[in-house]
Amino acid sequence: MIRWFLRGVTRPRVTTCYPREPEPPPVGFRARASLPSEAVIDEAARRVAAICLPGALSVEPDGALALDEKRCIGCGLCAHALTMDAGYELARLGSSPVSLSPSFRRSLHIRHVDTGSDGAVEQEIAALLNPYYDMQRLGLFFTASPRHADILLVTGPVTAPMEEPLRRAYEAMPEPRVVVAAGTDACSGSIWTEPEVLGGVDRVLHVDVYIPGDPPTPIALLHGLLLASGRAGEASMPVKKSAA
Amino acid sequence: MIALEDRTVDASSLATELERLGGRLMMLFATASADGGRELCALVRAHDAVISLRARLRGDAYPAVTRFVPAAHWFEREIHDLHGITPQGHPRLEPLVTHAPDEGDVKLFGEEDVGPTHRGAERLAGPGVFVIPYGPVRSGVFESAQFLVQTGGEDVAYCAQRLFFKRRGAERRICEVPLELAVLVAERVSGTSSIAHALAFSHAVESLANTEVPPRAQAIRRILAELERLYNHLEATVRECEDASLSVAQAQFAALKERLHRLAGAVAGNRYLRGTVVPGGTRVDLDQRAVDLIAATMSEWEREWRRVLALLLRTDSFLDRLVSTGPLSEEDARDFACVGPVARASGIDLDTRRDLPYDGYPAFDVAHHADGDAMARMEVRFQEVESSLELIRDAMGSLASGATHSEIGRLVHGAALGAAESPRGETLYWLEPDGDSGLRFCKLRAGSFVNFGIFNRVFDSQVLTDFSFIEHSLGLSPAGCDA
Repeated sequence: MIRWFLRGVTRPRVTTCYPREPEPPPVGFRARASLPSEAVIDEAARRVAAICLPGALSVEPDGALALDEKRCIGCGLCAHALTMDAGYELARLGSSPVSLSPSFRRSLHIRHVDTGSDGAVEQEIAALLNPYYDMQRLGLFFTASPRHADILLVTGPVTAPMEEPLRRAYEAMPEPRVVVAAGTDACSGSIWTEPEVLGGVDRVLHVDVYIPGDPPTPIALLHGLLLASGRAGEASMPVKKSAA
Repeated sequence: MIALEDRTVDASSLATELERLGGRLMMLFATASADGGRELCALVRAHDAVISLRARLRGDAYPAVTRFVPAAHWFEREIHDLHGITPQGHPRLEPLVTHAPDEGDVKLFGEEDVGPTHRGAERLAGPGVFVIPYGPVRSGVFESAQFLVQTGGEDVAYCAQRLFFKRRGAERRICEVPLELAVLVAERVSGTSSIAHALAFSHAVESLANTEVPPRAQAIRRILAELERLYNHLEATVRECEDASLSVAQAQFAALKERLHRLAGAVAGNRYLRGTVVPGGTRVDLDQRAVDLIAATMSEWEREWRRVLALLLRTDSFLDRLVSTGPLSEEDARDFACVGPVARASGIDLDTRRDLPYDGYPAFDVAHHADGDAMARMEVRFQEVESSLELIRDAMGSLASGATHSEIGRLVHGAALGAAESPRGETLYWLEPDGDSGLRFCKLRAGSFVNFGIFNRVFDSQVLTDFSFIEHSLGLSPAGCDA
């Protein structure tokens, strides 16, 4: 054990300073598509919408191209007509989100439920505990029981057999409870359709925070969780230093 | 391109024919026959060939194959669920992939009757014996699956697995969407083996259209596929360290894994390498900056990996928990047609990269172990990390200049099989075209589908606290299994 101890204390610190300092994504990272400043219309809009598998791109009645951020999987097939964002802070609040009182904000417990994900988003969530992200420094913790949980973190489009377990996990939580949909499939159902998949998590529960991404990166998840706790934009918040 | 040896039999003699052939059952499924009827198709790996055995169905029933070939047990239940075809004499014909509406009606026993030579699990009864239904929502960040563990308190008497909570209808979606977009569905079947699924699917499409992949694209594919293998094997290692409460080891391996994802994000634009492999080649090209980044990252990564692994292999509290835990006998692994590291750790010599060669893989040492326990499965993964590092170096050296993509022309063949070795084992896609530019039928089989089938067979004389060690040593993907 002494060898492990020495190994642990002799490694340099690798932990990100996010959110106090921004964490830049690598050049060329495909987080999601964004519409160019000049509107794409008519024939060009129809052509690019036709190759969007999850239906994130659609043509409005006036002929202009529209983008639904909750459906974009960042595949990059539209990159010839649109630009690909490399940003990490993609999370958005849902309509009338539950707001947690300030007393909750420094110690939030998260219960995860998988309703049919592809398995990668679970690994990105687990990565929040690795030395690079160390979620606990921000007062965020995973809990095994929904009874202790403040946040329900749902991954995956909702498959028929998972609808009931999802409801039961939600009902077991004490109020106030915040529902976070993590990943494009949880936000909108993504590329999946009925009958096997019901659609996004908001078909079953009211969603307070949407974190699109395929899969969402650890920083995108941290941003979404801070948003859920009413702490996003706290660029100057004190961050504990921690060793790698 | 996988050459298939076509044979035709009557459905009534399919079981005896499969038993006579021997070999390893890769897939068994129902599809439409040329004259509009229905037929069963079995793909068997025997005598160094892939034999496609087609059996014309008369009516809605046929004698079950499972009675002679245990590996067919889940395939036949799936056929029954999806097509209403009854394999007569199947030992456990209850719903598998479609969940019965009544959740309470789950039989704990029955699977042990599968196969002629297997003794069943000890049936325990009496006061103090109870069943823990663990899942589908489990304690921690896990994918949804359910395990019914029968115990008297400490010893596991029996453990039954229930999957398919995550079935998203991937096979249906692959046929529905335009052919050029279908690879996006394939890479989301099991999100941690996106490359393997995209490769297996692409290989099938390339066979259908007689397309050759340019050498540069083949080398890029090998680099991406081995990078994917590395971070999946690291994931298994991180989970085992977590189970053994080795926090420092867990953090060190998790940091190594994170570095691979960052490298993937920097060279491919996605931390799980999605949007890179397409039928005909690759969508990304590795420029000099990317090649230098991979070379620099991997050489430092390799040094760190060796140091931490050496420490781990000297840590008694880790070894104690894995050695002799969750043993899978060679006989079970063979009878149930296991694949990937699980099969290789039980003394079975197979690896898709060598046996059904694709994308110009050079000769390499296929990992092997004979012990069949959790430690053997981890040691196979450690050996594979070494061979993956070597294969990445080799592919980087053979990055010939040239195109990275050839056009996919008309689909000219009637059916094709595509295969790739995912970090969890052989991944298969069987495609039948509709006209010359669409798909009529798709059957996919992830390595996890067959390996989950033996989950109930590795709990002989195990205790409850071994559960997570056993689960994580198998390293299965419910998403891939459920599709």
